[in-house]
Amino acid sequence: MKLHRSLTAGLVALTLAMPAHTAWSQDAEPVVIASSEDVISLDPHMLDSNNPTGSVIWSVFDSLVRRAPDGTSVPRLATEWERVDDVTWRFKLREGVTFSNGEPFNAAAVQVNFARMNTAPFNSVQQLHDQTGLTEVRIIDDYTIELVTEKPTVNMLYWLAEAFIAAPDYITNTAPDVVASAPVGSGPYVLGEWNRGDSLTLVANDAYWGGAPAVKTVTFRAIPEVSSRLNELRAGTVDLVVGITPDSAEQANSDVSDLVRIEGLRKMHMGISIKGEQPALADVRVRQALNHAVDVPTIVASLMGGSTSPLVSIVNPPNNNPDLTPFAYDPEKAKALLAEAGFPDGFPLTLQWSTRFDGGKEVSEVVGAYLEQVGIQPTYEAVEIGQFRAGLSSASLKGIYFQGWAALINPSVELVILTCGHVDNSSGYCNPEYDKLVIEASQTLDDQARQKLEFAAQEIIWNDAPWLYLWRLPSFFGISKELSYEFRADNYLEPYLITYK
Amino acid sequence: MTVPVADRPASRPFAVRRFFARHTIGLIGLTILLCAVSAALFAPWIAPHPPSAVNLMARLAPPAWVEGGSMTHLLGTDNLGRDILSRVIYGAQVSLSVGAGAVVLGAIIGSSVGLLAGYFGGWVDAVLSFLINVQLSFPFTLLAIFLLASFGGGFVSVVVVVALATWVNYARVVRGQVMSVTNQDYVEAARTVGVPTLRILRHYILPNILSPIIVVASFSMAQAILTEAALSFLGVGVGGTQPSWGMMLNDGRNYLQNAWWMTAMPGIATALTVLAGNLCGDWLQDRTDPRLRK
Amino acid sequence: MPLFLFKRFLQALLVLIGVSFSTFIVAHMTGDPVELMARENATLEDKQALREFLGLDRPLAEQYLSFVGKALQGDLGYSFVQQAPVTQLIAERLPATLLLAAAGFVLALLISVPLGIIIALKRNTVWDVVVTALAMIGQAAPGFWIGLMLVVLFAVELKLLPVSGYGGPLYLVLPAITLALQSAARLTRLVRASMLEVLNADYIRTARSKGLRERTILFIHAFRGAMIPVVTMAGLELAELVSGAFITETIFAWPGVGRLAVNAVYQRDFPLIQGVVLMAAAFFVIINFLVDVLYVVIDPRVKLK
Repeated sequence: MKLHRSLTAGLVALTLAMPAHTAWSQDAEPVVIASSEDVISLDPHMLDSNNPTGSVIWSVFDSLVRRAPDGTSVPRLATEWERVDDVTWRFKLREGVTFSNGEPFNAAAVQVNFARMNTAPFNSVQQLHDQTGLTEVRIIDDYTIELVTEKPTVNMLYWLAEAFIAAPDYITNTAPDVVASAPVGSGPYVLGEWNRGDSLTLVANDAYWGGAPAVKTVTFRAIPEVSSRLNELRAGTVDLVVGITPDSAEQANSDVSDLVRIEGLRKMHMGISIKGEQPALADVRVRQALNHAVDVPTIVASLMGGSTSPLVSIVNPPNNNPDLTPFAYDPEKAKALLAEAGFPDGFPLTLQWSTRFDGGKEVSEVVGAYLEQVGIQPTYEAVEIGQFRAGLSSASLKGIYFQGWAALINPSVELVILTCGHVDNSSGYCNPEYDKLVIEASQTLDDQARQKLEFAAQEIIWNDAPWLYLWRLPSFFGISKELSYEFRADNYLEPYLITYK
Repeated sequence: MTVPVADRPASRPFAVRRFFARHTIGLIGLTILLCAVSAALFAPWIAPHPPSAVNLMARLAPPAWVEGGSMTHLLGTDNLGRDILSRVIYGAQVSLSVGAGAVVLGAIIGSSVGLLAGYFGGWVDAVLSFLINVQLSFPFTLLAIFLLASFGGGFVSVVVVVALATWVNYARVVRGQVMSVTNQDYVEAARTVGVPTLRILRHYILPNILSPIIVVASFSMAQAILTEAALSFLGVGVGGTQPSWGMMLNDGRNYLQNAWWMTAMPGIATALTVLAGNLCGDWLQDRTDPRLRK
Repeated sequence: MPLFLFKRFLQALLVLIGVSFSTFIVAHMTGDPVELMARENATLEDKQALREFLGLDRPLAEQYLSFVGKALQGDLGYSFVQQAPVTQLIAERLPATLLLAAAGFVLALLISVPLGIIIALKRNTVWDVVVTALAMIGQAAPGFWIGLMLVVLFAVELKLLPVSGYGGPLYLVLPAITLALQSAARLTRLVRASMLEVLNADYIRTARSKGLRERTILFIHAFRGAMIPVVTMAGLELAELVSGAFITETIFAWPGVGRLAVNAVYQRDFPLIQGVVLMAAAFFVIINFLVDVLYVVIDPRVKLK
């Protein structure tokens, strides 16, 4: 009996310990955003994944420039900029901006933040210094800085968009775990409440220099199951859903919600491991045969529901070489190429994928089924994400593998990943002729001359086929009929741009 | 209370009926298992389609008896247009192999540990019991992901993981049984007159622990098949070229609302087989546990 | 009694050390966390700097000893990925986990104990067959399938309950049922079996022959005896609910320790892994101890030794 009573008491205590759901105040309707993952850390310099952690950081902090959905750079904390010489960029900073704890934003703040990014552990996550060759942040006056790079770079603005500026005194003098859980920035929102693993609420920063956002309260919820996210959307308890799989996309359409499809930027492919366990893949004819063997347009039309289109180059439009055309689906030609390369009866091939991208299993199985038609004997292998990444960075995956690269519009960054020995070159592809063009292009400041070099490089890589080209990864979002928002192809959300209809 | 039926000479039909009455549970279990095993063994002859034949034009076709279904795909097709009936039949191969492999491995490890601990007692028992306790206090889900993250998925890994999850069951049962047998007068007598240990183990101990091992094995078989399904949910299942029921269940997870047959069919196959394992376990337990024998 | 407690305490400590050591070894076998934490194109120097920052460049023995040393003082270190103290991360998730485990467990007991007793008493009737069959099926269906079906039925079709999340009592219903069903199925069969065994035992026969009332026999003598194996099993089930509710937590977006732990493994967040496993093991040890104490309460013949 005693036991019984104490059990009941315990239960009551636990029930009381549950948070009362307070988020639903009636005056300004809060917007609830559901994604599959938890928000991890709010240290702006530890940001490495974009959703939902990235979306929160984009909302709480500002960067010097904003990357617009079309890939161009627009002013944010920097109001204007110019290139002073080959290695020097000068930025005018926005005046009158204060961080949410009252600290002023100025040139010194930029210097402190950039210096922090270049120390461990942040420098293994932050890209700014490595990608641009930034060597010095020069303070000209309180609202002017100059960034000096080692070599000429065309990537400065691109990476500045991901270099976030936090309140300088605060991040310098506060314990790292506090910085990571109580962010102080100058962005359109400040952190409200954070229940790790469950939800995070942002509250509008009414003093935002760009004007107070329309949505006053934004809640990010972590809902791992895609079907649960969709069911919540249809029930009206969630307003915006990120991370919908192509097959379930239709379910986002309901009487209270709409499906939004964005043709993404990430180039999905089956990477071909040239130094893997199947030596046949070193032969360019074999790699071309693989490309001819798979009917990509049909897969796009059926499995992907017509939501994307096949790749046309390894560089995203509008910078792609328009003379390139996709490999035609032609099993006979594929067989002929295989025979020519000395493999008339095909060969065993391992298809690998990780949990990094949805649908890796389905895609691999479909591709495998096509390859079987031309005599190749596929085996399938799901690889744990850590092992998979290790395999990518050492170019040691077994056969072909489902992967996506470079969700961005920047030909220089897109091309460099396939140069010899580059850390992202998971195929192990190496062609000095290609490398020469790519490196020359990245240091050519004249737009037309650079484009010519880039087109030439694209043509080489396309025909050398280190990838089995698939499609651009489409993104699907669900949104309440009461809201309007222009989604980005890179999956970041900028809640301050959401408006009520 | 039921009054025990006195044994009496019976006419043949009565004897048959009584046999069936007493063994209903076991017979049902065995029949289902037999079906599953035959499906696995004769899959290439029974299955109407190759299990991995993708047909993107015939995706998500419903079962034959549902509107829109056809006899070509009796149980419908999955998200890649593969025939579900064929996949369920072939799936028996992987799922049953995982079950059998895990049972054999778990039984070997567990029984050896239990045998050693029970027979030698003393510090051997103390050390092995400590091992058992550590294993029991380690959250299984985490252990599974740990191991699969270190060694990668695949058939062997999954078998090892499931065996690790179940060996403790054997160890505990065998240890207890061995202890009670070892204390019997005739075993003590054999020991005192210097009968070699191996001989004692083989002649006196082993026959006594065989039936509890078989009982635990039939329950563990069921557990193994369920565990394989759970591991598939975590994305670290068997993988490979052939489907398993767990993998099919997981593939259908996002299609519950628009293609229920993708999960229902492998779900039913899993449930039936697990049920069969449990039924056989119950039946064997009733047969072999003297305290329950009437 | 004090000696017993002391011995149990020592045993528990040993087990925890064993668990922490094996966790340490297995965690390091999963690979280098730096490979996951650093961006995909970090340089070798950057990665080495990160390794030093995290203390992963030290010899393994030193890493382990320093972990044990701090753990003894209640400091489980910092999560690599979340940059927060491990104790805090666990403490934040623990209420949700305990609530769900308690609810699931109580529900499982409420279903299984009465049902098991009833069908044991009505052995070989239709009731027995139907309930046993249901329990068998409940036990045979994969847990996540049950969970997803419950969502479709009660949340999507009938709109009676929320789909997912952590909030008021309504949010608790479906996850608790999902967790409880499988436990309940297992326990019901166990209660039935042990009740039957006890009813045939000598002391019940003696009680009967003494002419005690059937009700007294059932509820005082038989019930107590039958509960001993049930308590053991229930203890194991509860321990499993605390650490192993990952699948249920995922389906219902429940912010529990299970999801924290699984993500930690995927991210190779060693300190967090260590912390969660230690916590789960500690729960297991505590529950086992309580089970032993309960034996004494239930069965006066058992003496603590």
